Amino acid sequence: MVEFKPAGDSALVISFGEVIDEEINEKVHVVARAIEKASPEWLVEVVPTYSTVYVYYDPLMVSYTEVVEAVKPFLSAEPDDEKSRIVEIPTVYGGDFGPDIEFVAQYNGLSVDDVIEIHSRQFYRVYMLGFTPGFAYLGGMDERIATPRLEKPRLKVPAGSVGIAGKQTGIYPLESPGGWRLIGRTPLKLFDPRKDSPTLLQPGDYVKFVPISEEEFWELYSGGMIND
Amino acid sequence: MIDLLNVPSLLTIQDLGRFGYRKLGVSTSGVMDEVSARLANYIVGNPDNAPVLEFLLAGPTILFNASAVFAVAGDVEVKLNGVPIELWRSYWAKRGDVLEVETLRSGLYGYIAFAGGIKCERLLGSCSTYTRAGLGRPLKAGDRLTLGYTLLTGKEGRVLPRELKPDYSAKEKVIRVIPGPNLDHFTDEGIETFLSGSYTVTPESDRMGYRLDGPQIEHSEKGADIVTDAVPIGSIQVPANGKPIIMMADCQTTGGYAKIGMVARVDVPLVAQSRPGERLRFKAVSVEEAQELLRRRERTMKAIRKAFEGEARAYKVSAGGKELVAFVEKD
Repeated sequence: MVEFKPAGDSALVISFGEVIDEEINEKVHVVARAIEKASPEWLVEVVPTYSTVYVYYDPLMVSYTEVVEAVKPFLSAEPDDEKSRIVEIPTVYGGDFGPDIEFVAQYNGLSVDDVIEIHSRQFYRVYMLGFTPGFAYLGGMDERIATPRLEKPRLKVPAGSVGIAGKQTGIYPLESPGGWRLIGRTPLKLFDPRKDSPTLLQPGDYVKFVPISEEEFWELYSGGMIND
Repeated sequence: MIDLLNVPSLLTIQDLGRFGYRKLGVSTSGVMDEVSARLANYIVGNPDNAPVLEFLLAGPTILFNASAVFAVAGDVEVKLNGVPIELWRSYWAKRGDVLEVETLRSGLYGYIAFAGGIKCERLLGSCSTYTRAGLGRPLKAGDRLTLGYTLLTGKEGRVLPRELKPDYSAKEKVIRVIPGPNLDHFTDEGIETFLSGSYTVTPESDRMGYRLDGPQIEHSEKGADIVTDAVPIGSIQVPANGKPIIMMADCQTTGGYAKIGMVARVDVPLVAQSRPGERLRFKAVSVEEAQELLRRRERTMKAIRKAFEGEARAYKVSAGGKELVAFVEKD
């Protein structure tokens, strides 16, 4: 069931299937962390995704087959004792911060308060980070608030915006164009390249949205940095 | 210090890239053509990873505020104080000298290396500009850059032998690819189409990726979308329209389109230097072949660097009707 495939001449893919599944994703993170911890000298970096581990290596130091052999023992790595972190994301829902929340409510036959309650109740798993710096692929959104993307994407979505796209929810770490339905915004900085640990979220974390008021937003915003 | 007097197109500071942060979504970035950039660094006596200026198509005009040694890599006309100078050769510029870099005759990216490199804020371990995430920004006229301190004596007048200059003038280039890792998302015919067709680089191409036009590649019943996974540089993604996109230095770290193949690292500079309108053909190679090609290239790069450092001598030899360069290491 585990498959090894080359992704070019400088990366190995360890594939656990092509699925979005919490248990498989947990395995992905355990294996990825174990390889990182061992840090063989030919290792460039490891990228865990939904169901694959990409092992980037230096082909001037090691061949593809050697890398395959070297990573095999890590497949049986035990989960470390570290508990998953729960990262609270203070979020202002609605208003200018979440201009699409009424649409999300209407589309699903709910009140705005229902949407907030349903969205902020869950613990969302950070399956992986990618696409843009600090963007977390979150799993576990309640389908009662699922809403299709905008037909015409906005040219500018502010950093920290919390949105819904289909059955997914997520947070824009950087100001960018985007087509997600915006329901709120967090004052936290999700990406800060001047920090050693530049992203607020890490693969394997859990996210919990906490509703706050506009006043609280600006209080937290003036801090403006990642809270450690 | 140098002042940028005129910046006609995209001009950025790049080194060999930002590694270790792809799992957090941070692209590697770095120079598009590592061969040209590294050679330019060798000529001025720098290590491989020293930050250089990368220009797209048309180069800048630069005023030197202090003595510096520089070299320009690319197929382009260059003038120092109005007088044409050679490429792939280091020159000593004095305070008040003006360097004008014109438009590339072939290739897409050119490089200017300065002895001592360019001083810049290292973010996440690299000076590479990654505009989308606010890691540096494109340079503009009026910007002033500080060069790294180094002994300039002995670094001027160093020339790369003509036989070693990269040549990107071919209008159709053959790019070696390692098939996979999502071959199950393509039909056999689709893979055959990809390997036999000629693909044109479209104007919708930038440091993130090159969109190609050509014969439509057929997906299998699994379709064009995969469960999102990682995207290495050189990934050839094929979205539902069947037209390949080659992911380049600034590409996002993850993506949801099936990857039919990966450009061999030795050929990434060839792709980078292909202009819109030029064509690419793909040739399948094994991982082992691609790695051997890379090892061979790196042996040559090392020999060139050693020759510039005075640890080896380069000789021209004729073999099979061709002029070759041989390196003999000193004891």
